[in-house]
Amino acid sequence: MIWDLADAKAKPYDDAIADAAMEGRYTVAGYEEGPDGERWVHASVEAQPSFELMREHIRQYTPEWAAAECDVPVETIRRVADEFVAHAKIGATITIEGVTLPHRPVGVMLGKGVNNGWGGYQAMWGRTMLACLVGALEVPGGTMGTKVRLNRPADNRLKSAKHGEDGFMTYPFNSTKKDEWQSKPHIRNAYKMLVPLAANSPWSAALGPAHLPWLFQHKAPKPWPRQTLPEMWICYRTNPAISSWNAPEVAKRIAEFPFTLAFGYTQDESNWMADVILPEATDLESWQMSRIGGTGSAEQFWHHQGWALRQPAVKPAGDCMDMTDISTELAKRTGLLKKYNEAINRGSAAMALRGEGYDYALDPEVAHGAKEIWDAVAKAASHEVSGGTDVHGIDWFSEKGFMIRPFSQLEWYLYPRMKEEGLRFEMPYQERIKRHGEQLERRLHEVGIEWWNPQLKEYEALPGYLAFPDIWENYATELGRDPKDFPLWALTSRSMQYAWGANVGLPLIREVAQNVSGHDGVIINRATAKKLGIADGDAIVLESASGTTRGRATLREGIRPDTVLLIGQFDHWATPVAKDFGVASLNSLTDLAVSLTDATGSGADIMRVSVKKVVA
Amino acid sequence: MNLNDLKTDGSMGTSKRYGMIVDLNRCVGCQTCTIACKHSNDTPPGVQWRSVLDVEQGRFPNVERLFLVTGCQHCAEPSCVPVCPTGATRQREDGLVTMNYDLCIGCASCAVACPYQARTIVHEKEGYYAGGQTEQEKKTTHEDRYGVANKCTFCVERIDTAAITGLIPGVDPEVTPACASSCITQAIRFGDFNDPASNVSQLAKDNRSFQMHAELGNNPQIKYLYEVPQATPGRAADPDDLEDERQSDPTNPLVGKRQTFWDYRAAMNFILGGMASGLMVTAWFAHAVGLVATEGLRTINTIAAALMAVGLFYVFLKIGRKVRFLFVLLRPQSSWMTRETWCVALIYAALAVSYAWPQYVHGALVWLALGAAGFLLCQARILYASKGIPAWRAPLIPALVIASGLAEGLGLLALLSLFPSMQVAPIIVLAPAGLLLVIVNSWAWRCYVDSAKAVGIGPLSRRDLASASPWVHAFGHGTPLAMYLLCLAIAPLSQSLAALAGLGAVIGGCIWKFVVITRACHQQGFAIPMQPQRGSGTRAAPKRFSLEPQ
Repeated sequence: MIWDLADAKAKPYDDAIADAAMEGRYTVAGYEEGPDGERWVHASVEAQPSFELMREHIRQYTPEWAAAECDVPVETIRRVADEFVAHAKIGATITIEGVTLPHRPVGVMLGKGVNNGWGGYQAMWGRTMLACLVGALEVPGGTMGTKVRLNRPADNRLKSAKHGEDGFMTYPFNSTKKDEWQSKPHIRNAYKMLVPLAANSPWSAALGPAHLPWLFQHKAPKPWPRQTLPEMWICYRTNPAISSWNAPEVAKRIAEFPFTLAFGYTQDESNWMADVILPEATDLESWQMSRIGGTGSAEQFWHHQGWALRQPAVKPAGDCMDMTDISTELAKRTGLLKKYNEAINRGSAAMALRGEGYDYALDPEVAHGAKEIWDAVAKAASHEVSGGTDVHGIDWFSEKGFMIRPFSQLEWYLYPRMKEEGLRFEMPYQERIKRHGEQLERRLHEVGIEWWNPQLKEYEALPGYLAFPDIWENYATELGRDPKDFPLWALTSRSMQYAWGANVGLPLIREVAQNVSGHDGVIINRATAKKLGIADGDAIVLESASGTTRGRATLREGIRPDTVLLIGQFDHWATPVAKDFGVASLNSLTDLAVSLTDATGSGADIMRVSVKKVVA
Repeated sequence: MNLNDLKTDGSMGTSKRYGMIVDLNRCVGCQTCTIACKHSNDTPPGVQWRSVLDVEQGRFPNVERLFLVTGCQHCAEPSCVPVCPTGATRQREDGLVTMNYDLCIGCASCAVACPYQARTIVHEKEGYYAGGQTEQEKKTTHEDRYGVANKCTFCVERIDTAAITGLIPGVDPEVTPACASSCITQAIRFGDFNDPASNVSQLAKDNRSFQMHAELGNNPQIKYLYEVPQATPGRAADPDDLEDERQSDPTNPLVGKRQTFWDYRAAMNFILGGMASGLMVTAWFAHAVGLVATEGLRTINTIAAALMAVGLFYVFLKIGRKVRFLFVLLRPQSSWMTRETWCVALIYAALAVSYAWPQYVHGALVWLALGAAGFLLCQARILYASKGIPAWRAPLIPALVIASGLAEGLGLLALLSLFPSMQVAPIIVLAPAGLLLVIVNSWAWRCYVDSAKAVGIGPLSRRDLASASPWVHAFGHGTPLAMYLLCLAIAPLSQSLAALAGLGAVIGGCIWKFVVITRACHQQGFAIPMQPQRGSGTRAAPKRFSLEPQ
C-alpha cells in the first residue's frame, strides 16, 4: 500500500498515485497480515511509509557510532558519504541506444567476508539501500548484478524478473507455512528446512548450509535425524578436503564414506581418498561449447553474446578421456543411455538440441562420441545465434572459435525492465522476510529445534546491527578456550591468479602469483610483527580455537595491526606442486559450527587467531 | 614482401615510433599481461619480459598500493645498443630495440647497461616441473635463446605482420603486443607515438605522464599515466618512500637487487686486465726514462700479457656462447668491449712482433703500450657504460679504474724489480710517481664513496662500499703511502719497501674491484616520481565533491 498525498489515502501499488508519501505518519484502516495467515483488522491505526520506518530505524547508526565500531574516523565516514551523494549526480541522465536512462556513477563494492556469513545480510542490505537512496540500483554507472539467479530462465536475468502478487519481484521461497514446511531434511544440507530463502532450484543445494552436513555427520544437535553416509559419493572438479571451513575435519569425514568415485585430471586431497578415479582430460584436451556474453550466470557487459568452443589444443597426456565420453560410457554401462541422450536433447549440455523450428537431436538409442555431441550442440547454438540462417557444426567452430550476435547495452540494466513491467525494488522494508522468519521460528520450535534461534533473529524487515565481532570472539569459549589467547583477526582473500584454485598445480601460475604480495606468506602488519618478534619470511604458526596452520610471514603496511591475511586456500597435502608451497590456509583455522552460521546458512572466512614465530 | 624479409631487414622504412602508455590507475595487478607474454613468447621459468610489481608505499594507516608494469622500455636512446659488442642488439627505425640471438655471445653488457632490469640470460634449459621439460615445454623451447640476452620484443613478429595484413598495431589485437592485447583493464596501450591520432599519442597529449628514470637520458618509450583525468591529480613521491630504510628493504620491489650477470669471472678480468695493462703502461714510461731496459720491458710485458690472458680467459668462461667469441670484434664504432678486444689484439700482435722481428722491438713495444693504455681506458668505459648499475655508472668510475690500474701496474713493476732479470733500475726513482698515484687513488676512492648517494647509488650498494672502504684505504692507499715514504727515507731498504707498497696497491685494487663488481652492484631500481592519490589516511585522494576538473 502506498499513501497518496494528493488524495490523502492509502492505495494499492498499481492504483493511480499522484504523490506518494515518503515520510510522515498517517491514519489508515485495513487489515494487517501476520505469520501463518494471521490477520489483525484495524479500524483506525497509525502507519508510516517504509521510507519513514527506515529513517527512524537507521537514526541510531550515526557516523560517531560507526567510528567506534570500525575505527574509521568520523570525518572520513562523513566525507565518503558526502562524496557518494555528490558523485551520484542525482537527476542526471544518459542516452544509450536512443533510450534515456538515469546516470548514477557511484557504487559500493563489498569484499569476501563482508558479503557472506554473519553480517552479510546487513551489509548487502546497506549496500543496496545506499544505491536505492540515490537511484543507483541497476542503472548506468550504478550497482549492477542484483540478479535473482534462482528465478528462471537461467540464461537471461532480465526475463527472470517477474511480477509477484504485491508488485515486487516474485521469489520462490520455500514455504514455512504449517502444512507446507519441509519438516525433515530432504537432503543433507536441509536447505528447505533451515534456510527457506534458498528457493528450490538445482542451485539451491549449494546455497543452503552446505557445510553443516560435514559437522552433523560427526555430531548433530538434537533433535536431528541421524545422518546416513552416502552409499556412493561422486566428486567432480571439487576439492572440499582443502577448500572447506575446517578442511582437515572435512577430510576426515570424506574418509568415512564407504565408496567414493572421483573424476580427476590431477591428484588432489579429495580424490586421494577415492575408491575409483576416472582420469579426465584437461580443458586443453577436450571439447565443450559454452555461452559467452549475455546475462547468464555472470554479467559480462559485452555488446555481443553467443557461443564459444573449447577444443583440444593438445592430445591427451596419459590414459584419460574427455569428460563427455566418460559420461556417455557410464550412461551406457549403467543402462541409462537413452535417458542420458534424451537429457542432452532437452538441453543438459547447455542448449536444447530440439526446439521451435530446429531439430539437431541425437539418436537416443546410440552412444555418441564427444565431438558428435558437441557438434549437435554447435548446430543448435549457431541456430539460436543466427535465427536459423547460419547454422554450423563443430568443425566450423573449430576454425572460427566462436559465433556472436549483437547484445543491446540496454539489456545490461534491470531498471528499464523493472520500469516497463511496473516492478519495484523491495527496499527498504522486507515484510516477506520477517513473516517467513516468524513462521520458520514456529515450525522449528514445534519440532523441538531451539539451536537455530540466533539465526531466526536475522529475519528482520529492516536489518539491524548485531555485535558481529563478538560471535567470533566468543567462539573460543564454546570450545573451552580463552578468547584472549586469540588476539588477531584472520581473513582470507581470493587470489586472482589461482582463481578458484583449480590451477594451483601449475608452477607457471605459481610464478606469476608470487608477483603479488601474500602468495608466499601470511600478510601481517609490520608493526604487529615487530612486537611479536617476527621478521619477513620467518616461519610462523597460526592457531585458532579449532585448528592450526603454518606458513611464512609477509610484512606489509596496508593491513590493520589486529588482522592477518591468508590469501587463497592452501595447506595442500596431496596435490602435486601445491603440496610443496608451504603456504598457510585459513581453512585449517576456521571451524564448522552452527554458532558461526548465519540465517542464510553461510559462514564466513574469518577466525580469531594467535600468531607465533616457529622456533627451530 | 614476406615476413622473413621484414624480420631480417629490420628496417621498416617508416617514420613510426612505437611505444606504450601504462596507466598506473588502471592496473589491478592481475598478471594477465605477464602470462600472455609468457605464452606468446615461450619464455622459460623465472623469465618475465613483462613484469608487474606489487608496490606498497607508506606506513599504516597512511598507505598506498599500486601495481607497476615494467619491462623493456624500447628507449629512443637505448643504453643497451651501443654497448653490444656484436651488433646483436639494435634499434629499428620504428623504435623497436631488437635482439638477434644468432649474433649474441651472452656477454651481458646490455643487461648491465639497461636501467630497467629488462634483460635476462638463461644458460640452462629447465622446465616448470621436476624431472625435466614436459613434452609441451620441449616443443616451445627456443634453442637459440639460451646463453644469450633476452628481453621484451614488443612482440615484433606481430607488429611486422601488420605490414602484410594492413592491420594497425595498437588497434588490432592480432598485431599488438600480447600484453597490451590481453590487458583486462586497458592499463597497457600500444601504438605509434609519431601518429598524432594514435591511442598512445592521444593519451599522452591529454594526460600528464612520466618516463621512468628520465634523468638517465634514455628517453624510454613507455609513458606512465598517474592521475584520474580531470578529477584527482597525481602526487609527487613522498620523501618517506625515498628514505634509505625503504630503499634498502629487500621486500620493496622498487629496490634493485644485486646483479648476477657479471660475477667473479668478470671481476677477474677487471682485476688482472687492469693491473696488467697498468703494468704495461708504467713499464713503458719507466723504459722511456731509462729505468727499464728494452729486454726487461719485453719480459715484463710478457708477464703482463700472461696476466691479462688469464683475466680474458675468465671472461671467456663467463660468456654464454663461447664458440662465437670472435663476434666480439664486430662493433668498434660504439662498443668499448669491442675496442678493448681490438686493443688486446694489438697488444698480443705487438708482443709477437717484438719477439719475431727484434729489429722492430722498440716500435712494437710502443704500440703495445698504446694498446695497453687503450685497454685500460676501455675497461674504464665498459664499467662506466653500464647504466643499469648505479655504482658503475658513477662519474668517478673511469678515473678510478685508470688511476688504480696505473697504481697497480707501478706496484707490480716494483714487485718485479726484485728480480734482477727484469733489468729494472733502482725503484726508488719511481717512488714519487707511486706516491702521486696513491694520493690520486685515495682521493678518487674517497670522493667516489662520499658522493655515492648524490650520484644515485642506493643504500644497499653504499653499505657494501662502506664495508669495503677501510680495507681499500688500508691496503690500497695507507700501505703504499707509508711504504713509498719509507722507501724514500730508508734508501737501503727501498727495493723491498717499494715492493711492499706495490703489493698493497695491487691488493687494494683487487679489493675495490671485486667489491664494486660483485657486491656493490645492485641494479637500478624503479622509481615512481608521480603517483596516483588513492590510498588511505594521508595518502587518500583529496576531497572531491565534483566531477569537474580540479
